[in-house]
Amino acid sequence: MDLFLQQLINGVIIGSTYAVVAIGFALVFTVLRVINFAHPEIFMTGMFAGLLAGSHISDNFFVVLIFGAIGAGAVGLTLERFVLRPLRGRDVLMTLIGTLGVAIMLQNGMAKFMSPDPVAYPKSLQVSLLLSDDIILTSTQAVNFIVSILLLAGVSFYVRKTRYGRATRAIAERPDVAAAFGVDVNRVSQVTVALASVMAGIAAVSVGILYGSAWAFVGLFYGLKAFICMLVAGNRYFEGVILVAMMLGVIEALVTGYVSSNFRDVAAFTILICVLYFRPNGLFGSYDT
Amino acid sequence: MILGSNGAGKSTIIKSILGLVKPSRGSILFEGEHELTALAPHQIHKLGISWVPEGRQLWGTLTVYDNLRMGGFIEADDAKISQRIGEMLERFPRLAERRDQVAGSLSGGEQQMVALARALVSGPKLILMDEPSLGLAPIVIRDVFELVKEINASGISILMVEQNVRQALKVAKWAYLLEVGRVVENGPSDEIANNESVREIFLGGRH
Repeated sequence: MDLFLQQLINGVIIGSTYAVVAIGFALVFTVLRVINFAHPEIFMTGMFAGLLAGSHISDNFFVVLIFGAIGAGAVGLTLERFVLRPLRGRDVLMTLIGTLGVAIMLQNGMAKFMSPDPVAYPKSLQVSLLLSDDIILTSTQAVNFIVSILLLAGVSFYVRKTRYGRATRAIAERPDVAAAFGVDVNRVSQVTVALASVMAGIAAVSVGILYGSAWAFVGLFYGLKAFICMLVAGNRYFEGVILVAMMLGVIEALVTGYVSSNFRDVAAFTILICVLYFRPNGLFGSYDT
Repeated sequence: MILGSNGAGKSTIIKSILGLVKPSRGSILFEGEHELTALAPHQIHKLGISWVPEGRQLWGTLTVYDNLRMGGFIEADDAKISQRIGEMLERFPRLAERRDQVAGSLSGGEQQMVALARALVSGPKLILMDEPSLGLAPIVIRDVFELVKEINASGISILMVEQNVRQALKVAKWAYLLEVGRVVENGPSDEIANNESVREIFLGGRH
C-alpha cells in the first residue's frame, strides 16, 4: 500500500510537469498549426536561465523562477519572430524542420556553452520531509507540484475568461473567421508562443530545483512525454491534455514501482499506439487542420 | 446582391473584400478611399466590414455568448460589448435562452441567428452575406430575409450572395449578374428580375 501511495504521489508530481509542457505544445499547435519541436528545448533554456541567475545574481527562489521565465520567454519570442512567422502558410514540413533545427541548435549550443553533463542547480529551497518516513514527500516535490498547478489554472483561466484567450480558441477552430472579425493572428501567435514558453521556463526551474541539477538534454525526456500527452488527449480540450498528462505520470510511476523502470517508456508508447489506433483524433477530439 | 452560377466567383468576391484571398490584380475601394487589397483581414474589419460566412461557420466549441463576444472582438471595452450583446439577445430571444450553450449544439436556424448577431455586434457599416439561406427550412428562410431587410433598414449596407434568387431579388435594391469572374449585367433588382437570361437561368424561365 505504501508503495502504491508513494508511486501515486511521484506520478502526479511528474505528471503535472508533463501537463505544463504538453499544454505549451497544444497551445502553439492549435493557434499556429505548428508542431514546435523547439518547445522542450525552450523548457531546457529556461532551466539554465534560472541556474545562471541563481549562481550569479541570487539564489532566492523567486529570482530564479523569474529569470527562468524571462529566459524561456525570450527564446520563444525570438523563435516566433524569426522562424515561425516567416514560415507561416508554408508547407508543414518546413516549420517542422525549422523548429527541429532550432531544437538541435539550442541543445548542442547549451551542451557546449555549459556542459554536456548535468550541472548542479542552486539550492533555492530547503529540502525537508513533509510526510511520514514510509512515504516520502519533500518540500521541493510539493513546490514543483504547486507551481505546475498554478500555471495550469492560470492558462485555463486565460483561454476561457480573457479576450485574447477567447481569440486563441477562435483561431484554433476557425482562423479565417477569427481574422475577419478583427483578430490580428500575428499578434495572438506571438502572445501564445510567449505564454507557452514562459510557462515552460517556470516549470523547468521548479524541476531543476527538485532534481538538484540542470541538463542540456533534459528537453528530450519531457518533450517526448508531453508530445504523447497531446496526441493521446487530442488538442480540442486543454483540460483533457492536463488529465492525460497526470494519468501518464501515474501509470509510469506505477510501472516503475511494480514492474521495472525499463518498462516505463514502453508503457507510455503502448498507450499512445492503442489510443491512436482506436481514436486517431485523441481521446477528447482535435480541431480540424 | 450578386447572382451567378457555381464557379462564377461569388464567394471569391466576398473573400477578396475581407482580405482572406488576395486578388492577382485590380483594386477594391471601400467608401471611395480605403484600398482594401493592401490591408490584412483584421484591419479591414476595423473599417466596418463584417461577415456572415457561408454555412455559418460559428465557433462550435464556444458558447453562443462567447461567439457574440468574439463578434465584437475589436471593442476592448467590456461594458460596451455586454450592452451590444444585450441588445442582440433582446432582438433574438431564442438566443437568449441558449446563451450558455456551445454554438455547435444549436439547430441550423438558430446558428444562422447567431451568425447574423455575431456580424452585428461590432456595429459594422457593411455586412457581407454568403448564402444566408443555405441549408435552412423554408419557414426559417423567410425569417432570415425579414431580418436582412430590417438590418438594411437600420442603415447597414449589405452585399449578399444567394442561391435563393427569387426571394433575394425581392429584398435587394441592386443586383449584379456574374459569369466566370465578370459582371455581365447589373441594375435595379426588379429590372434584373425581369431580364430575359436571368429569368431563364435562375428563375425557372417561362416556357
